[in-house]
Formats: sequence, C-alpha cells, structure tokens
Amino acid sequence: MRSEPAAWSWAEHLRQGGTRPWSAWTGEAAAPGSPATGHPPAGWVPPAAAQLELVRLLAARPAAGPLVRSGRFPRLADVVLGRSAPGRGLAAAPLRWPHDDGPRVGAPPVDPADLPVAELVRAGVGVLAELLVRASTGPQGRGRIGRPSARAARPALRRPSATAFQLCGPPVTTAAVRRTLAGSGHREGGRDPRVVLLAPPLDLALVQVWSARVQDGAPVRWRGFLDRSARRPGLPPSADYAALARGWAQRVGPGSVHVLVAPDPSDPSQGSAGRAVADLLGLRLRPGAHGRHLPGEPRELSAAGVDAVRRVSRILGVRLRQDRHRDAVRRLLEVLDRPGPHLLTVPPRHRPWLEEHAARVAEGLRSGGYAVHGDPAGVLPAGAAPSGPRRHDVLEVVLDACLALADPQAGAREAEQR
Amino acid sequence: MIDPATPGPAVRRRVIVHVGAPKTGTSFVQDVLWRNREQLATQGVLYPADRFDEHFLAALDLMDLHWGGIEREAVGAWDRLAERVRAWSGTVIVSHEILAVASREQVRRALASFGDAEVHVVLSARDLARQVPAEWQENVKHRRTLGYRAFLDAVTDPARSSELAAWFWGVQEVPDVLDRWGSALPPGQVHLVTVPKPGAPRDLLWQRFASVLGLDPDALRPETDRTNPSLGVPETALLRRVNERVNHGVLEGEDYRRFVRELLAHRTLSRRAGSPRLELPDDVRRWAADLSETWVEVLASRGYDVVGSLDDLRPDPAAEGRGLTDPDHPDEAAVAQAATDAVVALLEEVTRLHGSERFLLGEVGRLHVELERSRSLWFRFRRRVVLEADRHRLVALALGAYRRARGRSSRSA
Repeated sequence: MRSEPAAWSWAEHLRQGGTRPWSAWTGEAAAPGSPATGHPPAGWVPPAAAQLELVRLLAARPAAGPLVRSGRFPRLADVVLGRSAPGRGLAAAPLRWPHDDGPRVGAPPVDPADLPVAELVRAGVGVLAELLVRASTGPQGRGRIGRPSARAARPALRRPSATAFQLCGPPVTTAAVRRTLAGSGHREGGRDPRVVLLAPPLDLALVQVWSARVQDGAPVRWRGFLDRSARRPGLPPSADYAALARGWAQRVGPGSVHVLVAPDPSDPSQGSAGRAVADLLGLRLRPGAHGRHLPGEPRELSAAGVDAVRRVSRILGVRLRQDRHRDAVRRLLEVLDRPGPHLLTVPPRHRPWLEEHAARVAEGLRSGGYAVHGDPAGVLPAGAAPSGPRRHDVLEVVLDACLALADPQAGAREAEQR
Repeated sequence: MIDPATPGPAVRRRVIVHVGAPKTGTSFVQDVLWRNREQLATQGVLYPADRFDEHFLAALDLMDLHWGGIEREAVGAWDRLAERVRAWSGTVIVSHEILAVASREQVRRALASFGDAEVHVVLSARDLARQVPAEWQENVKHRRTLGYRAFLDAVTDPARSSELAAWFWGVQEVPDVLDRWGSALPPGQVHLVTVPKPGAPRDLLWQRFASVLGLDPDALRPETDRTNPSLGVPETALLRRVNERVNHGVLEGEDYRRFVRELLAHRTLSRRAGSPRLELPDDVRRWAADLSETWVEVLASRGYDVVGSLDDLRPDPAAEGRGLTDPDHPDEAAVAQAATDAVVALLEEVTRLHGSERFLLGEVGRLHVELERSRSLWFRFRRRVVLEADRHRLVALALGAYRRARGRSSRSA
C-alpha cells in the first residue's frame, strides 16, 4: 500500500464534504480491497497536511451543510487546497503515513490531527484572504461587493425641533448607541446639545479602540497596541474621558455634559447602553428598531473576530491596494458581524500604567462639575479575563467566515435579515 | 552551465531564477546585476528592476509575506515582474534569496507566470557550519532576542516545531529547496553553485555565479558596497541586548531598519576588526557534518548541474576543537568597547541630524516671515496696486512715479 493513493482518495473524500480524520482513513486504506484508496492523476502533488485538515474542519462546521448538499463545497475545497498558507509559520508538512519514517529531507510528515491550531488559523486566514481578493477583483467584484448603497451611507436629516444631543466615548459603544438611537429616528447634532459621554471601564475602552483600528485596516496586535499606547503621554483620545468631558464643557458648559459610567459592559450588543442614553435624554425608542451600519463605523466584534480581521487584513495588505483593501475588510466585517464577548483585558505589565490613568480620569470626572451618572470609580479596569484572543475561537470565526463568503446567497440572506 | 545569451528571435526565451540561499553572496550578485543592468540589456540579458529591492518585493507578493510594513509596497509586484519577464525576448535574471522558502504551490504559480520560457533555477549554497551561525546573526539583525544556544536547539530539533526552525530549513535545506523549485524541471536546468571553502581566491564565487548566469565575469564590475556584512561575537551580543530594549514599541520598523540595522550593524559594528567570529560548538558541528553527508549523497543522486563542488558543502573538519567564543556569555569588556563605538556612531548621527534640524527650523522661520509678510495689509495693498497697474494706465503711472520717488524697484520685496 502506497501513501499517495490513500492521500488522493482522502483528499477526494474531503472535497465532497467528508469529515473522516486521516488516522481513520489510513486504517481503512490498509485493509485489503478498501475503497479508501484510489488512482491519483499523473502529476498530482499531495496538498500539505494543514490544507487537508482545514477542508475537513470546514466540512465539519454546521454552516457547511448547505454548501455540501448543493454540491458547491468542492469549489471551496479547491480554493483551500490550491493555495499555501500565507506568511510565516511552519513548513508545509506532508501527511504522515503509518510505519513510514518519511523522506530524508524536507519538513517532517505529520498527522493532520496533531497540527498546532496556529497553523490551521494561518491556513484559514489565507483562504479568507483569497476569497475576499477574488470577490474584490472578480467580474462582479469592484464597485459592488462591500460598498454600501448611497442610501445606507447617508444618514437621515435631523428635524430642527428634535432634541439636540451629542455622543462621545469609545468607538464601538458610541457607534452602537448612535445606531440604536438612529433606528428610532434620533440623530445627533443641533444647537446647544446635551453631551453624553459613554464611559465603560478603561480596559474595555482600550479593547474598543484596538478593535476600531483593526476594523479600519491596521493589522496591529492587541499586545502591540498596548505597548504603543503605554509609551504615549496620554490615553487614546476616545478613551480619555476626562479630556473629552473637559473639551465639551468648554463648548456647552459642564452642566450639559452627562457622563454615563460603565454602561453595562457585559452586554456585547450595547443595547442596554442605548436604552440608558435614551432614558437620560428623554427620547423614545421604537421597539425592535435598529439603525443601519454606516461605512467606517466600528462593529461589535468578539476579540476572536477582531483578531481574525487583523490577520486577514495583514495578508490583504500584501495582496490589494489600499482602496480595495478597505472594501475587502468591509466585506469581511459583514460576514463577521455577530456580537460576542470581548473577553480581553490588559495584561499585568500594563495594568499599573492604566490604573494610574484611570485614577486621573475618575478624579477628572468627579471634580469637573459634570452630571455624572454612576460612580466615577467605574472607569477603573474591570477585567479578569484572558489577555489575548484565543486561537481556537479565532479558528472557528475564520472557518465560519470562509463558509459565509463561499456561499454568497447565504451571506445575502443574512444581510437582508439584518 | 548556461551558455551566454544572444538576443534575437532564434534564441528561446530563458529565465534564470536565483532563489537563494541567504548568506551565500546573494546581495553581492544582486548589486552587480543592478549596477550593470543597462550594459546587460545591450547583451540581451534583462535584470528587470527599477529599484534595488524590486525582486524582494515580488517575492513578498508571491508568498504573501509581511516584512515590517514594506509589504504594502509589494502589491502586484510579482505580476509586474512576470509581465516584464514574458515581454523580453532573451535571457531574464530574477534573484532573491527569500524565494528559497516558497512552497510547491507558490513555485508552481511562479514558474507558470513565466509563460513558455525555458526556466533555470539557481541555488547558491554554503556549508552548514557557516550558515547556522550566520542565520542566527541575521535573526538578531531582524530584532530577534533569542540566545545562540536556544537558536541552535531550535534548528537542530528534528520536529522543526518552531517558526524559526521552519524558516531556517525553508531557506537553507539545499536538497529540499531544489526539490521544491526544480522537481518540474529537467535536472540539467537546476544549478547548484557552491560557495568555496575559506581561503579560496576572493573572486572564485563571482566566477561561479557569472558562469551559471551566462555572464562575462571580467566585463562586469564586481566592486560593490552592498554586501550583507557579518558581525563578530561581542557585536552580535550587543545588538541582541539592544533588541531587548528597543522592541515592544520603542522603535518602529522603519526606524529600526535605519538606525539599528543600517547605522549600527552594517555601518559601525561590522567594520570593527579583530573580534572573534561566530562558530558552531563541537556537538552541533558534528551534527552538521553528518547532515551534510546526507545532503551530498542526495544531491549527487539527482543529476543537478553543480557549479563548484559538493565537497564545499562539508564543514571544515579542522575547525573542530578550536573552542567557541560563546555569544550568550560574551567578554563584557569587548561588548563595552563595541557599545562605545556604537554610542560614538549614534552621536555623530545625532549631530548630523541636529544640523539638519537647525537648518530646517531656520527655513521654516524664514518661510513663516514671508508668509506673514504676504498676509500684511500693506503687502496686500501693494499687490493689488501692481495687479491694477496691469489693467489701468493711470494706476500704472502712479506706481511708476512712486517707484521713481522711492528710488528702487519694489519687485524684490
């Protein structure tokens, strides 16, 4: 029994949506007359173990069902098998065959089940980038995919008699609250507005700033973002509540600045924050009404989602020019648009830095004469969660995004539902 | 060996792809090709590059590699390169050492992009006892802080389970690189250039390169300042300590390249003479010698065109037992001397930049004054009068009278 026929038949099994692991396949292939063998075409080169395992994991996701049943899964599988994992990582290892020491040179063979998750993430990110590049440069690509309609991009006009208000604070919470209010017809602006400063705990605010930068195309790691932030004299502008409140107070007076401390950080969709702001401003929310995402507006993504965007964006940076890069990231955000808990916090080495700033911010909010709703101490770092995105979570996000991009009809259905 | 090319329709289009390996004189060859590209073109040989790092960018693009931010300049670089390759009727040379790490799929894509040209793959290779320390040093010059022993442990790990080991073997495992790049080609179109052993004539490597590239070694000027110079033990140890302090957000990629790699490593520390060189410890040297024997055996069986000798790939046995100057525990006095030279070089650079800053501040001040003057009421009035003088004769006469009364032209104001 040679390994190549078994590898070829396994690859074919996976292309059709099969999910049997390589170890089970080789066990069957060793049996006399087993169907788990085949005759690879001349010149067939076995794909790397990571690519094959990625196809298997894709097929095993619940979202793969429609693709497999409709016969479109092999097309996605061919994208996976036809492109090496991008960037740096482990070498493209061949499949390990039982009782075979492998070749004398080259990367050591592996059982795909033993591959590190990081390698599967890397391969998956390459597939995601490839699907986005194809969507961006294909015949239907440019000018259609990822570009919002003019109607969606243009906010509705404010009525002159509407309540004048202004929101500020960390980008994701602010955007979510803005969208909630806009869904009920309440637009920011107007003369002498009441300003609502949304002030979640500062570690969560930093996560939001990081998320917004990644969504804007900057492939910066969470740790790298913190390193750079800690070397700067102040906090990022949207997280420096004391400076924000001071700046608005100079324009509208401190009594018109409302600080909403810690708007429920456990609510990833920030719906409760929207309700709290509406109550504070005396605005009515229409039940079930949601505003549309505006271009460039950061979305509520889980930490794994943000990390997936970061990784894909990094690869897209090599493959697409800036304008198409932004379109492709926007398209990715559409398929990732599922709120999830951030589950991130500031690691111990940066906590003294952040706690020092948090104490300054809390004191600034206390002493500024603003209308503070909640205890200013609520801006102190809250987290006790993992300090970085978890790779297993990132892999799941990447797999589902690949399936969503490979099934545009499903993507369109989701977009309509949203 | 490849025959020298002559342009013309009778000559089949030919592409020579020099894929590495790093630390085998590749920067030197690329610089000779870059400097002489116009002369080469008149001989029917194209080195398709409008900037020195064009093939590097193309390689980043081919392999979706990020490289400290410079990859943003690489979008579409491989396709542009391949287009120039396909459009040339004679011989084209493509050269970059990181191409060695390309996967089979990337190699297939690269070769397909050259169209129907006859492709030759060239790999230059040096013995592992010199390559392993050189790669660690290259890692240090790229911000890594890993110690020498930890690096050796990583690359000698049979599982190659680290990214570092994967990269090392990806570019340095000669039989595997040639298999990935050459398995779809006749063995006669796969060329292995071996780097001569220490003590060989200085220009022997250039002679070997020139012969495999089909160039006249004497007609091209091999003088070049763009090499990838190596450092001694205390200098590398110093650089590693610098990395530990400037990583984590202190120096961004471009600043690191400019001040640490170029100014400190290449222009200062590599010019210090007399420092002990990096060597392999005896246990790793023996491992390298055993592995090299396997390589020589595999390579000899494949029928490649070897330019030089496979014996060059065997580590020098005389070096065993010489003793290692351990860069993980360097002579602190030697490190301090290297650090002093580094401080002086940085002070010179700071002084030069300060001079530039003073000059530029003076320029900014002067421009501010001019701007203010242009914005003054009197200046605006005078400008209006001059403009009106072009249209109204009376105003022109009055202006002329004013200038005569003042005694000089105001045009210089």
